[in-house]
Amino acid sequence: MEMLIKIFWVFAKLSLFSFGGGFVMVPAAIAEIEANHWATAAELTNSVAIATMAPGPVGVNLAVGLGYQVGGLPGAGAAFLGITLPTTILVVFVALFFFKIYKHPLASAAFYGLRPTITGIILYAAISLALKNGILFAANDRMLDSGINVIFNGWHFFEVKSLVITAATFFLLTKNKLTPLVLILISGIIGIMVF
Amino acid sequence: MEQVIRTGKKNASLIEVFVVFFKLGSISFGGGYAMVPLIENEVVEKKKWIAQETAVDIIAVAGSLPGAIGLNAAALVGYSIAGIPGTLVAILGNLSPCVLIVLSLSVIFQQFSTEPSVQAAFSGIRPAVIALIAYAAYTTGKMSIHNNACRAIAILAFCAMMIAPMYIVLIIVSGALTGIFLDKYKCYLSKR
Repeated sequence: MEMLIKIFWVFAKLSLFSFGGGFVMVPAAIAEIEANHWATAAELTNSVAIATMAPGPVGVNLAVGLGYQVGGLPGAGAAFLGITLPTTILVVFVALFFFKIYKHPLASAAFYGLRPTITGIILYAAISLALKNGILFAANDRMLDSGINVIFNGWHFFEVKSLVITAATFFLLTKNKLTPLVLILISGIIGIMVF
Repeated sequence: MEQVIRTGKKNASLIEVFVVFFKLGSISFGGGYAMVPLIENEVVEKKKWIAQETAVDIIAVAGSLPGAIGLNAAALVGYSIAGIPGTLVAILGNLSPCVLIVLSLSVIFQQFSTEPSVQAAFSGIRPAVIALIAYAAYTTGKMSIHNNACRAIAILAFCAMMIAPMYIVLIIVSGALTGIFLDKYKCYLSKR
């Protein structure tokens, strides 16, 4: 029970800081999950993949997947309530009273600073997952054995196969032709072939 | 305290609201703004539950609240159709399909996670996920970074996260305060 309450609180906290879509939650999730020793970076990245593969909001999916991983079905339930309850209450309040707040000059000034902050934070999520998944500057225990690791003077620089997949996926996303779901399926097939 | 959300035709039963949002929830891959055109098509055009301008307001507010945009939009649409029960029904309908799918995927994945081929597949998927996240940073950056001040805020936030990720709440709040401060400073300058 104590565990479930903990899961609920962590995701309730995460939900309030996920402005503008699910991936914004990833950096906050990295910090929380690692502090609680709930999952490794690789497991967290896998959960993000599963969350993207299902329909629906990535943030909610991610919470349910991680909740399940940490505490089975009750964990998934606690995570679901945590991620949806605070924002639902907030949304209802907005609907009832504060619909005008978002047009307030102070709010738009806050958003002026908030959006670039969020940008920096999401960028951190991408870089830190690359570091922790053995793609960039990996420590010895994080290196991918089946990868092509570029090592110079005993320093790991990058892993070629992963980096190519990241670059190709990013490029295809900017072209806006393939959906994230399709890109994940393709990269899974490529993964089976090259790793 | 003006209640801007206008209620539309109240000809919708809660079951109908649930069914519509269940349908929307099961086809909204990618979440967020992907759901916006679907909501408009289904709720505004087909069912005529709310007016077009209400839908536009709802989407603007849904995007500036924390939480998933699609979900916030569903909650607000549900509210404008049938009050608080409408909100709850819309949220439940919108989320049940994806929660069921995520749970099944997680169960399946845990079952097979030790298979070498599954591990290889995820070795390929993880770099792609990193690209998805980097792309999310790219699109928010394109939307929000218009000048050097914004660029500096983004770089500072990035560095702060690299050094102390546990202080993410503090970093976000400082970002908002910096925005307010810069805005005030700009007003001060233009008055002189």
